Amino acid sequence: MGMGIGWVVIATALAAAGCVFGVLVARAEKQGGNAFFWMLGAFGAQLMALGWRGELRGQCPLGDLGEVCLFLAWSLTLFYLVTGSTYRLSLLGVFTAPVVVILQVVSLVPGAFKSGVDKAVSVDPWREAHAALSVLSYGALGLAAVAGVMFFILDYRLKSHKIGGGLMQGMPSVSRLVTSMARIAVLGWVILTMGIGAGLLMVSGVFNLHLMVATITWVLYAVVLGVYYVRGLPGRQLAIGLTSLFVFSLLIFAKL
Amino acid sequence: MQLVCLGLNHETAPVEVRERFALSDSALDRETKSLVSYEHIEEGVVLSTCNRTEYYAVLNGGRGVEQLESWICEQRGYQGSREGIFYSYVARAAAEHLCRVASGMNSMVLGETEIFGQVKQAYKRALEGGATKTILNQLFQRAFGVGKKVRTQTSIQEGATSVAGASVELAEKVFGNLEGSSVLVIGAGEMSRQTAQALQSRGAASVIVTNRSYDKAVELASEIGGRAVHFEGWEEELAQLDVVIAATGAPHFVVKAHHIEAVRRKRKFRPLIMVDIAVPRDIDPEVGQIEEVYLYDIDTLQERADEARKRRQEQLKLCEEIIREEINKARLPAVND
Repeated sequence: MGMGIGWVVIATALAAAGCVFGVLVARAEKQGGNAFFWMLGAFGAQLMALGWRGELRGQCPLGDLGEVCLFLAWSLTLFYLVTGSTYRLSLLGVFTAPVVVILQVVSLVPGAFKSGVDKAVSVDPWREAHAALSVLSYGALGLAAVAGVMFFILDYRLKSHKIGGGLMQGMPSVSRLVTSMARIAVLGWVILTMGIGAGLLMVSGVFNLHLMVATITWVLYAVVLGVYYVRGLPGRQLAIGLTSLFVFSLLIFAKL
Repeated sequence: MQLVCLGLNHETAPVEVRERFALSDSALDRETKSLVSYEHIEEGVVLSTCNRTEYYAVLNGGRGVEQLESWICEQRGYQGSREGIFYSYVARAAAEHLCRVASGMNSMVLGETEIFGQVKQAYKRALEGGATKTILNQLFQRAFGVGKKVRTQTSIQEGATSVAGASVELAEKVFGNLEGSSVLVIGAGEMSRQTAQALQSRGAASVIVTNRSYDKAVELASEIGGRAVHFEGWEEELAQLDVVIAATGAPHFVVKAHHIEAVRRKRKFRPLIMVDIAVPRDIDPEVGQIEEVYLYDIDTLQERADEARKRRQEQLKLCEEIIREEINKARLPAVND
């Protein structure tokens, strides 16, 4: 394993540093990039680690718990780096970093990365696309859930008139947070749609438990987002919908 | 050469005295010209705002501050008591005082920014009128630099210190910016006017005013460029609003939860900020239980304004240090000599 696992350790350390640094900056009531550059570093280290596992397997590295967690952490970081700056949600990194750290710590648990894996001789490209796009979509859906958690905190503090402090200084407005939450979820849902589409074209056929769960998740997200865009939904209910759906789907996939 | 500053402000003089010394725009140039044509005065700048009138002068001989004070009182036709009304600063103290004034540290609302522009304007007019030379030119230029530094390196101007300002801050916490937002003002009193204007200054696009007396609503609406609606019709406007300001003298709740519940679907559950600045309160606290409604009363707003004032007070020491350092570095004639 050697340097390969070293990249996971580095990525975890950088994400943890981003979290601590971001909190310190927020507490000091300073504006700034917060966790962005730490997360960018973590992203680079994750790429190296995924490269190591991909090389070993000769296919998309999603064959064991360690790889799934690492891939999900990478996807979460990727969407944070893209959307965090697009929607000017600097504090989102502070909330994303702990989730990334947890996922990577799980991947570092002995046995999570299987050793002595066989290199694939042939791969089904649709299966590869299905797995990769599905996990990628969970990165975006995870980020929407993280934004949902941010919303709970912002909403609680505004409702209870606890408006001061560094955390509130760096928080986006309610409107921006709700809009970003919904848009990130839509992005995740679109990628999930493509993942399911690829799954339907797999050589092994459509009767795959993972694919069925992914489809149920897809329907539930479609309902929540549909209701939000068509009928309207209070921010808190949207946040509840997106966070609970993400946790639910994560737990179900962990059981499979 | 002696640099002096002689003046009066809200801390030393009551309004009836301040208004005797206040100078209109047209009178300011005349006063500056008279000042520098008076014997022993080489240079001069006159600053006049609603809360202060100050004379900055470079004296060459004569009886100094005392003579200047007599001249000013004579000019303004003031024969009342002078005890404790005027303050004066000489040399370095005068330079430091100007820096404090330009930085908003000496203002009624600590850290306010308007004074910076007013000092700049006073200097510009004196300069154009030929009333300044080396000493005051260098002093004022340095004071503008210090004023900018104080504002950028400290938190002297952060946070809203008025109820109206605190309302705007909260609205921005909910909506980000207020560009294009719609505001309903219930009540047509002074607080309503101030808050509506503060929201407009941050980009609120439409302001609707309602009041039991329709005439007063029309009066306020025309003053602030809004639209008046009859008191019986304000509920119909709720669906399109982002901010509701309530400031009536009603002895009971004017806005109740059922008013908002009725339009939630129509509003697509968009956030709504409600600011109740009336005592007794106009908005039923139950309204705040509705998920997308953020309700604030006068106590919360006052608390926010007090906190901001306290934070600004805490910055004063840092500001003084900056001023001291900058004056030391400046080597200004008649100040550091």
